[in-house]
Amino acid sequence: MSTNRRKEVNQIQLGPLFKWLTLAVMIGGCGLLFVYVKNQQHTLGQETRKVELQMREVRAYNEVLLAKISQLSSRPALQRKLEQTMVALVPIQDNSIARLVPPVTVGSDGLLRTAANERFRP
Amino acid sequence: MHEEYSAIAASKHSIRNTIPARRGLITDRNGEILAANMPAQRVVADGSHIKDKAALVAEIAAPYLGIPVAELTERLAQPTNKYNVITPNLEEDKAIALKKELDKKGLRGLYFYPNSVRTYPNASILSHVLGFMSRKNPSDEVLVGVDGIERSMEQQLHGEDGFRHIEHDRAGRELVVYRGQEKAPRHGSNVELTIDMALQSILEAELENAYRELKPDTAIGIIADPKTGEILAMSNRPTFDPNNLNEAKPDEMKNRAIMDMVEPGSTFKIVVASGALNEHTVTEKTEVYCEGGRFLYGGRILKDHHGYGNMTVEQILIKSSNIGSAKMALMMGDDKYYEYVRRFGFGERTGVALPGEIPGLVHPPARWDKLTITRMAMGHSVAVTPLQMVMGMSVIANGGKLMKPQIVHSIKDEDGQEVYRFQPEVMRQVIPESTAHFIAKALAGVCDDGGTATLARVNGFDVAGKTGTAQKVNPKGGYMEGKYVVSFLGFMPAQDPRFVCLIMIDNAKISSGLNYGGLVAAPIFSRVAEKTARYLDLVPTAPSMLPIAFSEPSSRKVTQ
Repeated sequence: MSTNRRKEVNQIQLGPLFKWLTLAVMIGGCGLLFVYVKNQQHTLGQETRKVELQMREVRAYNEVLLAKISQLSSRPALQRKLEQTMVALVPIQDNSIARLVPPVTVGSDGLLRTAANERFRP
Repeated sequence: MHEEYSAIAASKHSIRNTIPARRGLITDRNGEILAANMPAQRVVADGSHIKDKAALVAEIAAPYLGIPVAELTERLAQPTNKYNVITPNLEEDKAIALKKELDKKGLRGLYFYPNSVRTYPNASILSHVLGFMSRKNPSDEVLVGVDGIERSMEQQLHGEDGFRHIEHDRAGRELVVYRGQEKAPRHGSNVELTIDMALQSILEAELENAYRELKPDTAIGIIADPKTGEILAMSNRPTFDPNNLNEAKPDEMKNRAIMDMVEPGSTFKIVVASGALNEHTVTEKTEVYCEGGRFLYGGRILKDHHGYGNMTVEQILIKSSNIGSAKMALMMGDDKYYEYVRRFGFGERTGVALPGEIPGLVHPPARWDKLTITRMAMGHSVAVTPLQMVMGMSVIANGGKLMKPQIVHSIKDEDGQEVYRFQPEVMRQVIPESTAHFIAKALAGVCDDGGTATLARVNGFDVAGKTGTAQKVNPKGGYMEGKYVVSFLGFMPAQDPRFVCLIMIDNAKISSGLNYGGLVAAPIFSRVAEKTARYLDLVPTAPSMLPIAFSEPSSRKVTQ
């Protein structure tokens, strides 16, 4: 065998292989990451939508209750309730009221009040 | 080419979603809700999505929608109709349940859009002031205020819808990640009225009783604060329920307090008395000869109920002498008298924040005949609105100032923070305070013994006021025989008025011999004023007319 014959060996070139493999893994990883992030976004979006819907429902329910409260506490409703439950509320008859002309110096404003209606006072 | 197709593609997937603004609430001065929103959903069917499953969808949806299955199937089976409104206002809880049911079965084609129904918890109470909502055009989906506060405060109440650009998948589900431009809605402001529902209820109850017992054509009541011009209560009969507009007749929906013209009758005598005193045509001590009850002027005889001789201005008001009033007007002259009529605010709109107000009818002197001035002095040949009468009497009650009537107290944002408060507005000083006080004193005499309105008295208080009895005007000309518009317009306490109240009854079905302001309207005023005084906790200013009754505690024995 000739000594000068070159030994032909098909050695695996690890360097480029590793390079390309790394590149492929990175590209694949990026792709998977992209899909993962996309899925996450979609899931979070769905959750956002669900929460928004719940919030809307709660707000709507709140408004329904507000409307119902105002209906149940309205004057005609209270009047009906009064008639149904036969609560014995009658206006105070005039001959049952003793009227006194109050002394001028009572209270800080000089008025004697039996039942002050604070809301109406300026 | 690419742009063209991408635009088509975008239009297929991208839509502009409206986020509806919530309409503001209307409340009374104490925050009691008078107009609220009941959330609902507009149910729309897209026939192209339902396809051949109309019967299946109908079977599930029919009980929620309250539509027979057969009818609903027919309505849903329209593949070409992509926007078929099945019901505009489905209750919120039913809509949510229906949506869940459809999702569970995997059915699509019915879509839900947020909507709301305006509700008025107090039904017919205050309906003329609150007004109602309707479509501007029959094809419109959006309701707007068309009468009352709903209309006049539409701009503040309606708010501004928001929007959101969204994209959806082929199943119609929103892709949240592709959300585009977005703008939040600006919800409507809440409107707080000057109305006090406690006083409104008092007035409504008394007016309702009168309407039932006397069976008049119409009945009107107004309570106002003379110092600020705030309207505390306003009621009309006949009335309507704004929750049930289908049953309301146009005649019932009219706010007669600002839309009806009436001849005010003797309540108008305050104008001539104020004017004559202010112009020094007469003084407090001047005596006017009342011709013994028959005054021939301009070829016609003007009559008083009784024959009177010489009377002072005070007596003319207390006895309600037509001749005395006419003579004072004649002494003032046409132009001067007309000037005072206008200064009191008659013949012009008061400017109250309610739609449809009319100015009334006051002809200028150039169009008067010889008799007009004598007729106008006693409240004939002039047409005014009930609200103008109240504001005119407020001039006397507040020391001579003509106030602009207020119905809106303030505007609040959705968090209840005050955005704007309406301040009392003085239109003009009509007469000096001294003149106003003199007239007020004379009007207090109207309710005393010998006056025309003793039935208007309120136990424990001095009441000042004036009765009015005017023959009803015939729209075809002249007057209607035996038909009268009677009223009582007064304030209380006479010394320091806290409220002015008008009660006006049109054509009460009672004997014409009894149909007078002092007999019909004055007792209603008395009842309203009594309850109002209790509510406002007014301090009694006059000694009690009734004996004070004390219970006997000794009759109840205490046992141990």
